Amino acid sequence: MTRHGIIPPYLLRSIAINGSRRQRELAWATLTESEQIRGQRRVLPPLTRLAVVPGRMRRTVYDARNRYDLPGRLVRSEGGAASADPRVNEAYSGAGTTYEMWRKVFERNSIDDRGMRLDATVHYGKNYDNAFWNGRQMVYGDGDGTIFGPFTRALEVIGHEMAHGVVQYEADLVYRGQPGALNESFADVLGILVKQYRHRQTAEESDWLIGADLFLPGIGARALRSMKEPGTAYDDPVLGKDPQPAHMKDYIETNEDNGGVHLNSGIPNRAFCELALRLEGYAWERAGRIWYRTLRDKLRPNSTFRDACSLSVTAAGELYGHNSPEQKATRESWAAVGL
Amino acid sequence: MKIVFERTGGFAGRKIGRVLDTADLPPAQACRLERLLRESAFFSLPPSIRPGRMPPDGFLFRITVETEAGAHTVEAAEGAVEPSLRPLLDFLLDLVRR
Repeated sequence: MTRHGIIPPYLLRSIAINGSRRQRELAWATLTESEQIRGQRRVLPPLTRLAVVPGRMRRTVYDARNRYDLPGRLVRSEGGAASADPRVNEAYSGAGTTYEMWRKVFERNSIDDRGMRLDATVHYGKNYDNAFWNGRQMVYGDGDGTIFGPFTRALEVIGHEMAHGVVQYEADLVYRGQPGALNESFADVLGILVKQYRHRQTAEESDWLIGADLFLPGIGARALRSMKEPGTAYDDPVLGKDPQPAHMKDYIETNEDNGGVHLNSGIPNRAFCELALRLEGYAWERAGRIWYRTLRDKLRPNSTFRDACSLSVTAAGELYGHNSPEQKATRESWAAVGL
Repeated sequence: MKIVFERTGGFAGRKIGRVLDTADLPPAQACRLERLLRESAFFSLPPSIRPGRMPPDGFLFRITVETEAGAHTVEAAEGAVEPSLRPLLDFLLDLVRR
């Protein structure tokens, strides 16, 4: 591991004592060459990141004017006046809330942890009932006008899409099968944490619902997904019934939806909710930190549910100690979903 | 002419789709559909249009058109959809939602 030599040990020692929490962690891990920290990917970039100045948020919002060209016309940038268009302001302020939460809770500097600009496009496509991350930016549709309203309405949707960016820059989980379902689940977890953080909700107070504000009146749906009780978010003549499994015994094998990435994500979603409820209080404080560390330092592109289970137990041990209540709760939470 | 249209994936992970026969459509719509198939050069499109990296929460579209001359299926993922294919997709989605 010659890469450890990039920053001389005396400097690392100084950072390990005087740096920010994140810097201390990284410097300490490098110094001790802990086997528990993941190898090369983590060792190299963080050291270069130490030189990065504290981030400043930079947001830009574009309007696709109901066409499919990205990014569209620039309508608001950082510090600019609010728009007359509520969609523009929702995308702008939602990105801001998410960025601030990551910075304060995880000491993360934007999507790539290097201060990346937050680009979002609203009014994408025609009757477009979706939001996605295209590898570079967030994209939001206005909804189909019959079932779904605009996708910027739900803060956890904005947090979810931005989290896909974080996943891409960290574990880079393959978007298929179990790694894909983990990709989806980490996006839901980071999304709900932003919503909870914004409303200062404890794990007990949260509704654990993803997409609660997306439906137009008259649709029999609480939300798109329930992290607490997967499979119970909706039951409606038009929509059908929420198909998410809540336990490994109901795991769905399918070719559709990239191998059921939005279906089986219910299983790790519930594991996280179980952990947050066991630990009580604000989910972002301990449960969130364990999950974030697992995503940032442990998971690999092809990681499975079982990997996520054992690696999050390792992460909990590193953060809170071997056999700590936090580590035990992590193990129990995965056991509750059959892992 | 028979058309099997399906959309999967997306943030909601919800599948929608429909099987259509131009013989059952009002003549104006059938005509429009045939025109959109021509304009998108549908029968010359490759069977799979996917970006190198699947965009998370992107839709996946699948269209099969069966004529007397044979059948052709095109699968297109968000992020790789040709602009010329959009009017056809929008038209089919309108029919599904109706």
